[in-house]
Amino acid sequence: MADTSTDHSAAAGIDLSQFYQVFFEEAGENLENMEQLLLELDIEAADDEEMNAIFRCAHSIKGGAATFGFSDVAELTHQMETLLDKLRRHELVPTPPMVDVLLQSGDALKAMLGRHQGSGGEEVDTSGLLFNIRAMVAGEAPPAAEAPVAKAQVPAAQAPVAAAATAATTGKRIVELRVGPLNDLSQADNLVDLFKEITDLGTIEPLPDDPSLDATRRFKVETASAESELLDLFTFHVAREQVAFLPYGDAATPAAPAAQAEASEKGYGFFDDAPGAPAAAQPVAPVSAVEPQQPKPATAVAKPAAPKAEKPAAALEASTIRVSVEKVDQLINLVGELVITQAMLAQNSRGLDPVVYQQLVTGLTDLDRNTRDLQEAVMSIRMIPMSTVFSRFPRMLRDLANKLGKKVELVTQGEATELDKGLVEKITDPLTHLVRNSCDHGVEMPADRIANGKPEVGTITLAASHQGGSIVIEVRDDGRGLSREKLLRKAREKGIDAPDSLTDSEVWNLIFAPGFSTADVVTDVSGRGVGMDVVKKNITSLGGTVEIDSAEGYGMRVAVRLPLTLAIMDGMSVGVGEEVYILPLSSVVESFQVSQEMVKTIGGSGRVVEVRDEYMPVIELEKVFQVPRFDWEHNSGIMVVVEAESGRVALLVDELLGQQQVVVKNLETNYRKVNDVSGATIMGDGRVALILDVGSLVRRSRH
Amino acid sequence: MHSILAVDDSASMRQMVSFTLKSAGYNVVEAVDGQDAYEKAQGRSFDLVLTDQNMPRMDGISLTKKLRESPQFKTTPILMLTTESSDQMKQAGRAAGATGWLVKPFDPTKLIEVIQKVIR
Repeated sequence: MADTSTDHSAAAGIDLSQFYQVFFEEAGENLENMEQLLLELDIEAADDEEMNAIFRCAHSIKGGAATFGFSDVAELTHQMETLLDKLRRHELVPTPPMVDVLLQSGDALKAMLGRHQGSGGEEVDTSGLLFNIRAMVAGEAPPAAEAPVAKAQVPAAQAPVAAAATAATTGKRIVELRVGPLNDLSQADNLVDLFKEITDLGTIEPLPDDPSLDATRRFKVETASAESELLDLFTFHVAREQVAFLPYGDAATPAAPAAQAEASEKGYGFFDDAPGAPAAAQPVAPVSAVEPQQPKPATAVAKPAAPKAEKPAAALEASTIRVSVEKVDQLINLVGELVITQAMLAQNSRGLDPVVYQQLVTGLTDLDRNTRDLQEAVMSIRMIPMSTVFSRFPRMLRDLANKLGKKVELVTQGEATELDKGLVEKITDPLTHLVRNSCDHGVEMPADRIANGKPEVGTITLAASHQGGSIVIEVRDDGRGLSREKLLRKAREKGIDAPDSLTDSEVWNLIFAPGFSTADVVTDVSGRGVGMDVVKKNITSLGGTVEIDSAEGYGMRVAVRLPLTLAIMDGMSVGVGEEVYILPLSSVVESFQVSQEMVKTIGGSGRVVEVRDEYMPVIELEKVFQVPRFDWEHNSGIMVVVEAESGRVALLVDELLGQQQVVVKNLETNYRKVNDVSGATIMGDGRVALILDVGSLVRRSRH
Repeated sequence: MHSILAVDDSASMRQMVSFTLKSAGYNVVEAVDGQDAYEKAQGRSFDLVLTDQNMPRMDGISLTKKLRESPQFKTTPILMLTTESSDQMKQAGRAAGATGWLVKPFDPTKLIEVIQKVIR
């Protein structure tokens, strides 16, 4: 059916491809949703509501895929749906292999959808999956044993099937199978093969073709399986509407299936004397024929077949819209400009007499407040909850733990904590690496855990929380923790200078050294220790920090601290000559008035300053940026201590101008990369001020 | 202009149906599930209701039943979209008061063909 839809739509002048993108997005959401539900599914006590929700995900993807002509997707989802339908009707009991195969199918669907979207990749071979699902649907549910249970639980559901069939579903029976009309008669051979593949199905023998039936093949089938099961299997190869079951040897009833075929070919129908039905509409034979006999069970069927669900997700969908990130960024940029204009107005109007210009001053105050609110509101558009990052980990950990033969439970906290979208994208990889490390190197094998008096199942906790203007994401595990001795030994083997006097935290930080691996056995999971240095570098480049805590035998904790957004930051403005520079407030430790005797010169040109018995390098910003001087007598007298990458330096400046929120403008995209500068901003008076890259300044001091 | 209430929890299907109907000159109100549709049907009437079956919050059968309870939907054609052309579903639809059914997947041509049969 899906194959022909394109031609028809062309006839109607409607190009279905315009809906593809929405379908892809929707299918992606459904797949995510399904995966999450499957991972959360308690196999021992599967909740009806959950099973229905999972079913609906597959069902929805199938509907769209069939409509828009993605027949491979429709085929796989159809089989998943069949299995899920049996599960939600309690005709089958969920097992871990079923969950596995459904998860794998989900992966396959993602790949297929990706291919349809043109992202390329290998063609997805689903034959194994299809075979497994089919076997689960048919093989693991022997009808003889299942039928009484099913009947007891959903008597109405079975009734019409039983009525249409010649005998009860217990025991084998012989029916005539008609397949057609077919474009290619050999399509029916696939059904014969099916019986060969799945021997439990019974036997199939061809019958001589009936000349009165056009392009239709007939078979004699001896089977114990319900017709619905057979239909589900057949739909791989032929459309449901092309299949008809008749009592074997009963030649007197060809009219009914013929009419059914006709009705199905039309693809629609109207109920006899139903409200609103077209007057000319003729009742369609099979429905009206079956219906009067069983109007009561029909209503009873409605419940299990289409249950209600009180999930808020769909309601949410109605109240959200999709907007491209570029539009949001444009909005943020414009608001940034507005903030600058507002600041300029505020500065220029400072000298106005409030008595004379009362209305203007009031208006400017309002503008100030509204601009701030607007800025906050616009920034919040880009904020997305951490759950979007966390949601990928249950599946990853599950696969990883299985592979390593470990037992791990993932606990997530603070999923609602929001973070800038840009940061979310960039933090996902480092976090993935940390979680993998915890599972691979941290959590012990179940036997070791028991031997150490720990619960067999290890716990990895992902926690996000707001702390001041930052977000802190922690990855904790209750595994073996870091070993001080082992790390020191390893470091020395690698030729890293690691004296015994290092503090614990300095020792832990050794794992961020390039090429450092703490596992005795190199695994294909965490690789060769490559990455921890990259992890640290990535986080630092986002303006974040990483901290490690560990207790040997009890586990470890890695805390990643990130700014909430990259677009605005709290800065401290300092003046050097005629120039203004911005220091990220988060990196400022202290500032003080400096006197000549505090500064010492070492090694010829290097200068250090003594603060509370501690020496730190001095960096003269006027030299770094070659600030022109007009008053030659001038002596800078203020030092600002900044900290980055566990190093501190004292910056020599002329004056502290104040603290303010600044809108960060990227210098690289607007100009070019400048050493020691991470960005720029426009000040209230319209001047551009450079934002200093403290990390780079600290590194400079080390050379 | 005839007004049609189109109910489907799938955004892509909703867009396709809506676009097709609008192109054919109908006025379309979209609803994301039975509950949404029921709320949108309050205090107004439609010339046709086109509803999916399996939806969160309220399914198509329940929607049909509830709509039939109110006077302005007593005789309104209500078509259900069923993925499988199952007799069970059709019987349930009939018992609930549906006018007819349309099998999913369908293409725009078929949709218009059916609708023109019930809206004159």
